[in-house]
Amino acid sequence: MQSVSAEETIQRLIFSLSEIEQLGETIISGRGNFNVSSRTYLRIIHGTLQVNRCAILLFQPTENCLTVEAAISVEDESLSIPVTDDDIAAILESSTIDPSSPPPTLDNFFNQIQPQLELLGANLWAPLKIRDEFLGVISLGSFRMQDDLEDWNRELLPVLANQVSVAIAYSRLLDKTRAEQFRLFMLSDTATQICKSLDTEAVQEEVVTHAITLLDASAGGLLMVDPVTQRLEMKSIFTLEPQADTELENLSIPLQTDQDAPSVLAPLAEIAAPEGETLIANSGGNGVLLGRRNLMAVPMRGREDTLGVLIVADKEGRGGATLDFTDEDRVLLEAFANQAGVAIENAQLYQEALEGRQLQAEMEEAAKIQQNLIPDTLPEISGYEATGLYFPRGGVGGDYYDCLPDANDTWGLAIADVSGKGMQAALLMATLRAGLHSEVTRKEDLPSMAEALNSLLYASSTDGKFATFFYAQLHPEMDQITSVNAGHNYPLVIRSEGGCDELEKGGVMLGMFPNDVLAQISEYEQETTQLSSGDVVLFYTDGVTETVNPDGELYGEERLEEVATRVKDDSADQICQAIYDDVIAFQGEAQQFDDLTMMVLKKT
Amino acid sequence: MATSFNVNTRTEDGYAVIETDGYLNGPTGERLAETAKDLMNQGYSTLVINLEKTRLVNSIGISILIEIIEFLQEHGGALHFCHLTPVIERTFKMMGLAQHAEIHPDEASATTNL
Repeated sequence: MQSVSAEETIQRLIFSLSEIEQLGETIISGRGNFNVSSRTYLRIIHGTLQVNRCAILLFQPTENCLTVEAAISVEDESLSIPVTDDDIAAILESSTIDPSSPPPTLDNFFNQIQPQLELLGANLWAPLKIRDEFLGVISLGSFRMQDDLEDWNRELLPVLANQVSVAIAYSRLLDKTRAEQFRLFMLSDTATQICKSLDTEAVQEEVVTHAITLLDASAGGLLMVDPVTQRLEMKSIFTLEPQADTELENLSIPLQTDQDAPSVLAPLAEIAAPEGETLIANSGGNGVLLGRRNLMAVPMRGREDTLGVLIVADKEGRGGATLDFTDEDRVLLEAFANQAGVAIENAQLYQEALEGRQLQAEMEEAAKIQQNLIPDTLPEISGYEATGLYFPRGGVGGDYYDCLPDANDTWGLAIADVSGKGMQAALLMATLRAGLHSEVTRKEDLPSMAEALNSLLYASSTDGKFATFFYAQLHPEMDQITSVNAGHNYPLVIRSEGGCDELEKGGVMLGMFPNDVLAQISEYEQETTQLSSGDVVLFYTDGVTETVNPDGELYGEERLEEVATRVKDDSADQICQAIYDDVIAFQGEAQQFDDLTMMVLKKT
Repeated sequence: MATSFNVNTRTEDGYAVIETDGYLNGPTGERLAETAKDLMNQGYSTLVINLEKTRLVNSIGISILIEIIEFLQEHGGALHFCHLTPVIERTFKMMGLAQHAEIHPDEASATTNL
C-alpha cells in the first residue's frame, strides 16, 4: 500500500466534511423512510472511507438478531447475526471494533459469527446507537488506499455512524408519528362513518374491519350477547386464513361459566359481565385464545347493558413481526368500542322501529280484511233474534262469526278463532270463511263438512297454524240446532226455565292434522239440541273468557254464564251489550291482547 | 369473512398498472413494494396502483406506500392511485400521500396524459 500524502489527506478530509453535510441534509430532507435512504448513507460512507465493501445492519429486537438493511458488494444480503443482551452491552462500549481482534468480552461472539463476517468481508464495525439504545452496526470491508484507517478517519467513522443513527431514529419516530396520526384519524373518521349506517349486520362488519385496521391487527371478531339464549354469539369475523372461518364463525360461548368445568373461552364470557374488563393475552404470557399469537378483547357497552365483546388479534409490526398489545392499544380499542356500541345500538333501535312500523301496517291491513269478512248485521230468522259483536283490542286475531243460509233450508251459525295474529291469521280466516261458504251449499252432514274444512286449513297453513271452529245448523221449524265443535270454546245454551247446557260435541281443531291422521285420533261428531222459547245460545271466542283484570284474574266461563243468565230475558242485542259492558268493566285499565267476539241467538 | 391478498400487474407503453385485491397490511404491503421495485427495475418508473378490490389499509400498509413513493421519487418516477374507497381516499389525503402521488377516480383518468 502506498502512503497517502498530506495534500491528499486534506482533500479527502474536505470531501468527507461535505459528505457529512450531505448526510445531514438527507436526514432533514423530509424523506423519512430509512429503508429508502439507507443506501444513500451507505454510498456516502463507501465513498468517504474508500472501502471495498460495506453494509448497514439493523438490530431486530423481536428476533434478537442483526439483519442487512443495505449493502454494497456483499454477496449474501439475507444473512442474519444472532446477538444477546451481553453482546449488545459489549458492542456499545466501543466506538469502533476490529472483528479480528475484538475486546475480550466479544471474543466468543465474533468467533461464533465467522461465516457471516466472511460474507460481509468485515474489517471494522461501528455501532449505531441513540444514547444506550442499540440500533445496529456499520460493517466496513478492506480499505482501498491503506491497510488501516488513519486516525482522522477512525474518528470520522463514529461521526458518520452517529449521523446514520440519527437518521434511523428519525425514521422510526416518523413511522410512529404517522401510525399515531393514522390511528387518531381512523378513530374519528370511522366512528363517524359507522354511526351513519342503520343496517345492524353492516355496522357489525364495519366495526370489526375498522378495529383491525385501527390496531394493525390481522384478525378480529365481534361476539354479541344473545339475551334469550344468554350466550355470546359470533356475528362478524375477519381473518386472513380462510380455513379459520368455519371454526370461528359459529363460535358460541355461554355467559354463565361452569365453575366445575370452566371452558377455555370462559375469559371471553367474563368480559361481557357488568364488571367485565378488557383482556390482553400476549404470546409472552399465558392463555392466548382462539389459536392466535396475541389477542385483545374489550367489552362493548350499550346504554344499559353489555352488548358484546370486540376482539382483535395478531398485531403486526414491520417485517412480519408480531407485536404485543399495549395499554395504549387498550385505551384506543376501548374508546372505539364505546363509539361502536352506540352505532350498533342505534342500528338495532332503528331496525326495531322499522319492524314495528311494518308490523303496524300489516296489522292495519289485516284488520281491514277481517272487518270486511265479518257481517255488519245478521239476517232476520223467523222466530229468532240473532246478533253479533266484534271488538278489536290491541291486536288483530283471526276471530270470525257468521250466519248464513245453507243447502238444507236451515241456517248456519259459525264462530271461529284462528291461531296467531296479523296478516297470516287474517288470511287463514278468509280461507276458512271461503271454505265454509262453499261447504254449506252441499247437503252433507256436519262431521263431513268439518273434515273438508280441516283438510282445507291443513293444506293452506304452512306454519302450523290452526283454527277452533263451531258450526250450528239451525232448523227453525223444529227449533233444533245440530252442531259440531272443532276445539272451540263451548257455546252456552242458557235455558229460559233455568240451567245452562254446553255444546261440546265435535272433534279436534281444524288444520292441526291431515284427515288420514285425524281418522286415527278421533272423528268429528255432531249433536242435536232442542230449543224452547226464551232459550239463549251464546257463541263466543276465548277473548271473552280470557279477559284479565288489573289483578291478573281471568273473566272466565262462570262469570260469563252468570251475566248471560241474569239478562237472558232481554233481547239478543241487549244480552250482547250487557255481556260486553260487563267484560269491559271487568278489564278496567288492564291491557288486553285478544279481540272480543261473540254471537247471540235467542228463541223468541 | 376471510380475505387473501393478490397482486396483478400489467405493463403498458410507458407505465405499469398494479391491481391489489385484499387487506393491505405489513406482509401484503411488502409484496406490493417488491412488485413495485421489480417493475422499476424493468424500467417502469411510472406506476398506477389500482385499489378497487382493497377495502382496508392499516398504518403499516400506509407506511409501505410512502416508501414506494419515495423510491419512485428517488428514481425520477411517479405513483398514481385509482379506485380508492372514500375512507381510503380520506386516509391518504390526511396522511400526506396525496401530496406526493396523484389520486384518480379510475384507471382511465389515471393513465390519461401519463
